[in-house]
Amino acid sequence: MKKYKFISFIIAIVLQGTMLTGCYDAREIDDMAYPIALGFDKGESNELRMTLQIAVPVNIAGGEGGGGGDGEKGVTVVTVDTPSIYSGLSMLNTFLSKQINLSHLKAIVFSKEIAMEGVSKYLHAMIRNREFRPNARVIVSRCPAEEFISAVKPKLETNPAKYYELLLSAYKYTGFSTDTQLIGFYHKTESDSIQAVAVLADVSEYESSDEFSIDSSTYKQKGRSYPLEGDFKAGDLPKTGELNIEVMGLAVFNGGKMVGELDGEETTYHLMLEGKFKSMLFTMPDPMDSENFIVLNIMKSRKTKKKVEMHGDKPKLYAKVFLEGDILSIQKGTNYENEKNTPMLEEATEIFIKEGVIKYLDKSINVFGTDTNGFGKQYKSKFLTWNDWEQFDWLTKYKQSNYEIDIDVNIRRPGLITKTVPEVIGN
Amino acid sequence: MADFKSKLKGLFFFKEPEKIEKFILKENESRNSSSENKEKDSEEREGRTSRDNNNKESSKKRGVKTPIARIKQVGAKDEEKSEGSDEDDKGSKDISGMTKVSKKLSDNLAYIKEKYTIPVNSDIVIREFNITVKGKTIPTFIVFIDGMTDTKVLDLAILQPLMLLSNMEIKDDDNEVGNIIRDHLLPHNQIQIVTELSDVVDDINFGGCGVFVDGIDKAFTADVKGWKSRSIERPNTEMVIRGPQEGFNEILRTNTGLIRKILKDEDLIAENISVGRRSKTPCSLMYIKDIANESLVNEVRRRLEGIKIDYLFDSGELEQLIEDNPYLAAPQILATERPDRVASMLTEGKVAIVVQGSPFVLVMPTTHIDLFHTPEDSYLRFPYANMLRIIRISAIAMSLLLPGFYIAITTFHQEMIPTDLLFAIEASREKVPFPSLVEILIMEFAFEFIREAGVRIPGPLGSTLGIIGGLILGQAAVAANIVSPILIIIVAVTGIGSFAVPNFSLGYAYRIIKFVYIFLAATAGFLGIAIGLFLQGLWLTSSKSFGIPFMAPIAPVTNGGLTDQILRTPIWKQEKRPDFLNAKNNRKQEHFSRKWVQDDKKK
Repeated sequence: MKKYKFISFIIAIVLQGTMLTGCYDAREIDDMAYPIALGFDKGESNELRMTLQIAVPVNIAGGEGGGGGDGEKGVTVVTVDTPSIYSGLSMLNTFLSKQINLSHLKAIVFSKEIAMEGVSKYLHAMIRNREFRPNARVIVSRCPAEEFISAVKPKLETNPAKYYELLLSAYKYTGFSTDTQLIGFYHKTESDSIQAVAVLADVSEYESSDEFSIDSSTYKQKGRSYPLEGDFKAGDLPKTGELNIEVMGLAVFNGGKMVGELDGEETTYHLMLEGKFKSMLFTMPDPMDSENFIVLNIMKSRKTKKKVEMHGDKPKLYAKVFLEGDILSIQKGTNYENEKNTPMLEEATEIFIKEGVIKYLDKSINVFGTDTNGFGKQYKSKFLTWNDWEQFDWLTKYKQSNYEIDIDVNIRRPGLITKTVPEVIGN
Repeated sequence: MADFKSKLKGLFFFKEPEKIEKFILKENESRNSSSENKEKDSEEREGRTSRDNNNKESSKKRGVKTPIARIKQVGAKDEEKSEGSDEDDKGSKDISGMTKVSKKLSDNLAYIKEKYTIPVNSDIVIREFNITVKGKTIPTFIVFIDGMTDTKVLDLAILQPLMLLSNMEIKDDDNEVGNIIRDHLLPHNQIQIVTELSDVVDDINFGGCGVFVDGIDKAFTADVKGWKSRSIERPNTEMVIRGPQEGFNEILRTNTGLIRKILKDEDLIAENISVGRRSKTPCSLMYIKDIANESLVNEVRRRLEGIKIDYLFDSGELEQLIEDNPYLAAPQILATERPDRVASMLTEGKVAIVVQGSPFVLVMPTTHIDLFHTPEDSYLRFPYANMLRIIRISAIAMSLLLPGFYIAITTFHQEMIPTDLLFAIEASREKVPFPSLVEILIMEFAFEFIREAGVRIPGPLGSTLGIIGGLILGQAAVAANIVSPILIIIVAVTGIGSFAVPNFSLGYAYRIIKFVYIFLAATAGFLGIAIGLFLQGLWLTSSKSFGIPFMAPIAPVTNGGLTDQILRTPIWKQEKRPDFLNAKNNRKQEHFSRKWVQDDKKK
């Protein structure tokens, strides 16, 4: 009898397990469509124009055990005008055969227009749903998002998801964009100690190299006679080719509203101050001869030290950035590897970077008035209670900040040439 | 024409089939015989007369005469006829009531003939002859089973001395025939004097030779076993690279000898216990007297002696008869083919049972962690052994959980898959018509088929299986879009993982539980797997093997028992025996087993 009891218990458990759950959530992988980019524009016929870039796995992975995929056919782009995100998904599923699953979304693109109006309402909707990956990247497109997403046609990889992943982590070695994961972006829009930035992107404007112009570059505002590599924003780069999109610079947010743009160079300084800077190839004029360049591979050597002090009602920001560099190129042929000359080069680099950082910080405080660098986060620890901090109203106070910046550069390695010898010209 | 017509008629028209009486095994007949078997034992004690009455009664009741009873009577009559002269009916009635060796040789002969159903039983040899002791000629006979005895030894050590040496003058004052025969006439190393007839029969059944001499109420049994057996070979199921390569064979004494050869310890006890009412399979209960806990030894002995079955063939059966929980998936007794493994476990304070006829020796108690160990672990240097253990444990985890994980991830948790892999899986699954659960069940079953067939397939056909298995099930199944290629990898890794389980029984256990996890994962994803792990944990921690918690020393945690459990410390750090075994002597080496290191420092 006892045995039957046990067996019936087991049967009851098994039946309940299967009947009550009924594989409720179970969905086969191939019963779902996976968008990899989601774009938001101002809608014309409705509130919102939503563009989805949906992966076509058969074209990406080749199916049939090989065959190789095609990057261009790897995605299909659909656009819909809709009142909200989720109603848009329902509308899309009236003609998409597979249920949309957003768990592999890699990029969320806001058009500049919609970003200026504010993105908070969309962010809330996304954060609430567990399907949105917290590590999807937030992008602000200077052109309409629909146009941007349609222009994404990766050439080096068959998988567009990989394209986004790699492209948006290139900041680690270019210093021209940053890591704007959805979750961090959302937290920063809601935070009262740090404010958000998003990667700036655009579609190239030049069809061929004959049309190149540097009119939209920012070099003139910086008092240079020629643009350096960082003096551009996305879309302005003089470039052409099959890859049509550009990712460079940042969109600066105040809360959920976009307030301004940073170009590539300013983005680098933002990274340095915030502490996300990793490494970059850095061009600057030769201190001895401003006609020629010196190229360094600049890397972070230690964590940036930040400090805030209150002088009366005005905050004073202190930051010390520690960098080290390898010499990549000395165009003039000056022997900077020399013990006497290296400190000179280091000092010149420090001054050059410091000037840039000061200009950037000036813009951040006086033009945008948004603390995107996290000084407030630093200062928050000085307060005993949350109420004190809230009443202190840092984000307003930040606009009156003074600052003192210190840059420390060490030139470590000269590369494979240990002593530069000027070229010898025979008569 | 008429002939043709009648042939056609025969083809198309119904003809009553000829009645053929075929043999049919009737139910009541076999039942009778089995109940008769039961009765037989008691009848033997009660004696022949009562048995005849019983027979009459039973024959009245059932109306069928049992074949066994008849044969016995025939045998008895035969022997009466052959013996003939001085036997009367009374004497023949006494024979089946006999329990002790009779002084009358003819009684003994009659008893043996009845017992072995001679002449129906053809391989029982009875050799009658005369011996001369102190000038007297005494009739004698020996009885043995042909094929189980070594005839050379029999001729040289039993027959020759009895028949030839007895004629020589014996310088002994003792006139007792029995003593003279034991002391002078049987130059064999294992002679026993027995008075119980059943003992003689047991010995003969086990390859001995019984010697009956007229005029004495004793019989001699000589151990002249000479059956054919396998030589000592490499252990097939537990191969090692480093370490001894000997494995047990089917002979009890060879096996105990192999263990003793390794241990060389006079405190090693090998108790003889026979199991099986009819088979009387000799088993050897082995332990080290001053290490093994007495109560453990007593418990094992109690369980062994408490088994009431007719026949015992293999230690696999014995394992099922003495284990704690027959419903637990995991084996609670370790069966090993390796003498060195048994020896090392005996030194920890465990108990081993060697069964005649089985190359697998049982070692108990066993914890779950013991089942993860191989004998090689302690022969290899400890970094290598630890690497092997980590690999083995992860392989075992794979074999248990990988299919479940695959189902859980692909049907519930797609966000966990790297995007590239997701697209690859989706593309490969695009044309597969089944849900992944069905898909994985198809492949798992196919793999189990191959596995089972691989064991049963006759040797010459072995390569066919490889072709069928590898090509058809692997490649063709994918080409036919029945399964996706990724799934083949999953099933393959699972299979390889399960081969890495060092204990074969545990491998079976995990193969079964694997399917449970597949279903759990299909119903509730990771939640299901988590519930499964939780329940399995409860199940295992609540079980015991011979009084020891099965999951010791992890749950419950015991003191200092982790020197050689999940990972292994260097051998000189393994100073104590596992605490949960409660051995009589807990320390297995001195605090400084590498004494020379200390000596080095002094200089």
